[in-house]
Amino acid sequence: MTTTHPETIARDPHAAGAALSIEGVTVRFGGITALDGVTMQIQPGEIVGLLGPNGAGKTTLFNAVSGFIKPDAGTVRLDGAEIQSMFPYERVTAGLGRTFQHVKLFRGLTVYENLLAAQHRHLSASPFAAMLRLPSWRRDEDEARELVERMLDTVNLRPWSQRYPWELSYGTLRFLELASVLSLRPSVLLLDEPATGIQQKEVEQLGPMLRRIRDDTGCAIFLIEHDMGLLMGTSERIYALDFGRVIAEGSPKEVSADPQVLESYLGRTRRAEAAGA
Amino acid sequence: MRSTITAEEAIAEAEAPPAARRLSVRFPSLTRGRVITGGVLLGLGLIPVGVDAARNTTFWEYIGAYIAVWAMLELSVVVVTGYGGLISLMPFSFVGIGCFATGLAVSVWGWPFWLAVPFAALATVPISVAVGAASVRLKGLYLAIATLTFASALGETLFKWEAFTGGQAGHTIDRPKLGPVDFSGGFAFYALTMAVALVLVWMVHGLKSSRAGRAMLAVRDNEREAQALGINSTKTKLTALVIGGALAGVGGAFYLALLGSPAPAGFQSPYVDVSSVLLVVWAVIGGIEAASGAFLGAFALIVQQQVFQGAEKLFVFIGVYAALVLVVFLIFRPGGFVQVVKIQSERIRVNPARGIPETAGLVLFNVIVIWLIIHFGTVATKT
Repeated sequence: MTTTHPETIARDPHAAGAALSIEGVTVRFGGITALDGVTMQIQPGEIVGLLGPNGAGKTTLFNAVSGFIKPDAGTVRLDGAEIQSMFPYERVTAGLGRTFQHVKLFRGLTVYENLLAAQHRHLSASPFAAMLRLPSWRRDEDEARELVERMLDTVNLRPWSQRYPWELSYGTLRFLELASVLSLRPSVLLLDEPATGIQQKEVEQLGPMLRRIRDDTGCAIFLIEHDMGLLMGTSERIYALDFGRVIAEGSPKEVSADPQVLESYLGRTRRAEAAGA
Repeated sequence: MRSTITAEEAIAEAEAPPAARRLSVRFPSLTRGRVITGGVLLGLGLIPVGVDAARNTTFWEYIGAYIAVWAMLELSVVVVTGYGGLISLMPFSFVGIGCFATGLAVSVWGWPFWLAVPFAALATVPISVAVGAASVRLKGLYLAIATLTFASALGETLFKWEAFTGGQAGHTIDRPKLGPVDFSGGFAFYALTMAVALVLVWMVHGLKSSRAGRAMLAVRDNEREAQALGINSTKTKLTALVIGGALAGVGGAFYLALLGSPAPAGFQSPYVDVSSVLLVVWAVIGGIEAASGAFLGAFALIVQQQVFQGAEKLFVFIGVYAALVLVVFLIFRPGGFVQVVKIQSERIRVNPARGIPETAGLVLFNVIVIWLIIHFGTVATKT
């Protein structure tokens, strides 16, 4: 049942030290092949963009990498270790963080409590310790609140800390989600359209912010984005995806000049511009 | 709840730099919220004693114990449905397990009551795990229906198994003793159950601000996002069900001590379903997301039952009244009584000149409603 793609599965010279290595991942929904032997490598500390028209399989790829979809074939490695048999929450412990295209978060919790919930993997007190207010619970809570306090300053969410998600603008929600995922201290961060629904001014802040996050934490960032300015300006390397296959790979400049990418994604205007240039 | 801070804590707090002090604000011994919650719960808990003292009766001590025991049962709904977001329509079946496990341990095996209480809590675990297995696949309405069928299946098997239930009449136990203290008296038993209920409220309240409690709230609000933040949703649901089941089990032990010998028929369909739905409805009215809501819900439920019991002519309308109350709460105060208390105390704080009369009016309105029900419902005795 699995189609093998020897040429795509062939090992990339970079694969050995890759932070995230996707090898021949295939996902089918019934008769539709959403991902067809996708192979990609992301190096530690690298910012990589993922480009493609709607329905190209970008979010499906993220879901397969983060464990919300089980691929029909292929291997996903995080820092060299296979993770494809793990549950999503186990992949978080392995060092993978991701955001979603539609931000919802936890609507019954304040911003502060949302961030507390994101500290889950750093804490250890049992429910009984909490019910009896044992010292282990108290240490746990102290640590959680200290981490949240630091995160509030890092992402500038302090003015909203006691607000509920539904009281916030979509842009602020995006930053809250980013802060939650950063709390996991991931080694690879998957961001699914972080600029969607936020103001242009905030989009412009996002690029430098992502670079700063990368510089501060050393994590690799894998980015799906339709805002071309952000994607081209922030990514160091770009993969282009169409009909579930990688159609181009290279620097932003190379990919944006690729005829296949122009055809499938960037459209006529860009093609005309490229032709005129 | 601690009511004072020790000298060391006071010194440490005074010496701490501002940033650290802001962190330490989270464990204050007395905050406004705590004073209000504690005051309201204790005040409501003491009403029966006051009524008895004023009227020279002991009836309301029994009602007070009833409120306390139902508060324990409501706590299981708070943890499973309020925190965990799992709509279980079988909380009363867990009460039954706790009840008959205690009866078996005390009246057949001759265990002391105090040992039977943890046993009752443990006895619920297998059923909690079974429901947990279902909850992995079933969500919302489907889980609710599954738990209903679970409850009726238990009613036809476990609660008809005479070795467990002690036959049609159930087990009979005496109210517990602890050394020289005998809790068989009305007031002593009332004080015991009220103390246990308040301790359990305190425990469930603590759960909410902990790793496990926040995981429950997160899974309830958005399971996918919770998993993406490293939370094991299956384990979290199971934890909520096991803790909720154990609370119902403990409540069941005291339920047995309160009633003496409840019959197993009460844990078979349709009675068990009625009781379970009643628990869920009044947990919502009390405030399903807060531990104190369990207490307030139980208080309101028992008061309502007593008022209608007194108002014989209107007794048939008890369900209509409960439905009306539920709908009004769901529309205007979905957080239940807890939200009412919060909003009113906030209004009093912000603008006492308006808040106090408003709150007094609210209380007066309820007293008038109760008075009207009793007035028009009581069958006039000819003199």
